[in-house]
Amino acid sequence: MGLEYVRISPGFEKYMPRDYVDLVKFGQFGREVDVMQLGQFKELVEEHPMCAGCYMAYFIRIFYAALPKPEDTIVLGTAGCARLALSQAAVPFIYGNYGDTNAVASGLKRALSIRFPDKDKDVVVIAGDGGLMDIGFGMTMHSWFRGEKFTTIMVDNEVYGNTGGQESGMSPKGVQLKMAPLGKKFDKINAVQLAIDAGCVYVAKISPTNPKKIAKVVRRAIFAARKFGPTFIHAYTSCNIEYSIPTREVLADARKREKEDFKFFEWMTDEVKEYLEEIERKEKERKKQEVKS
Amino acid sequence: MYFVAHIHENECAKYNCKQCVLFCPEPNCLNYKESGHTAWVWTDRCKGCEICVYVCSDLLKRNCIEMVMVKAGD
Repeated sequence: MGLEYVRISPGFEKYMPRDYVDLVKFGQFGREVDVMQLGQFKELVEEHPMCAGCYMAYFIRIFYAALPKPEDTIVLGTAGCARLALSQAAVPFIYGNYGDTNAVASGLKRALSIRFPDKDKDVVVIAGDGGLMDIGFGMTMHSWFRGEKFTTIMVDNEVYGNTGGQESGMSPKGVQLKMAPLGKKFDKINAVQLAIDAGCVYVAKISPTNPKKIAKVVRRAIFAARKFGPTFIHAYTSCNIEYSIPTREVLADARKREKEDFKFFEWMTDEVKEYLEEIERKEKERKKQEVKS
Repeated sequence: MYFVAHIHENECAKYNCKQCVLFCPEPNCLNYKESGHTAWVWTDRCKGCEICVYVCSDLLKRNCIEMVMVKAGD
């Protein structure tokens, strides 16, 4: 943790793998990158074993590019597709048992704030709909009730994709899946409303169709969590395998869903709004000065 | 044999748009060359999902990316 941990000791550069040297020289550590510069810097995720055309992988790629301070961040995940990419990144990753990510994150965040009282250490949970809204439901809700200061991101693929396609609480009503042939009989859980009612200070719902918007939402959620309390992002990340979406149509599907039930939604308390506007104003001024100089 | 994206660099350099890079789900796979103002593919990392082709051809109507078969060692 911290920049010292990332840097290569003098004299050891020629023995380190090329990818790691690139990561330190041309990566995100110690400097702010704009997500629109993707493809021009070394990304934190080196490679990942997720399916071709997986938009959960895409969301995770943008998430890492958007991290305000990757060297001071810890990511938590649980069983599910997301952990396949999360564990390949150059950011410390903790693999919780199924469903206990938010409980682990609560303890971790408290410990970090005692150990580093004068530093911002970000804790981010990224788990699927099963990990957060089905099996981990109790722990997720209680971390919000307690007002724990970390970010929870739900990458919602609306199915248990790893285990053959069982329905989850987040699958839309009536959908037929490989392991749910009769069709789902209940409505999709309204996770966003639950988060607002449970005491989150910043809540957003997004479909990954615009990298700039994803980055903005992720950064806002992390900044708000540092100071005020729990934050939550509900992201639609389709499963092209279980929902049989041709890989070429994955983005088209995300755009379609954005028009239907995944319209961009953002909610925050007044004090968070004030705080974020202040931060974003300062960022803009800094960028203007950089351009001038 | 792999099915990977191939960029027509001369065509791509005309637009300087970078949209395919921003929508690829693979990290460090579709990159951008500032010297030639064109995208380039790290062939070993491309899984052949064609999202870049959708962005370039269907959304932007620029037709700079094509899917091609390559053999190991190409």
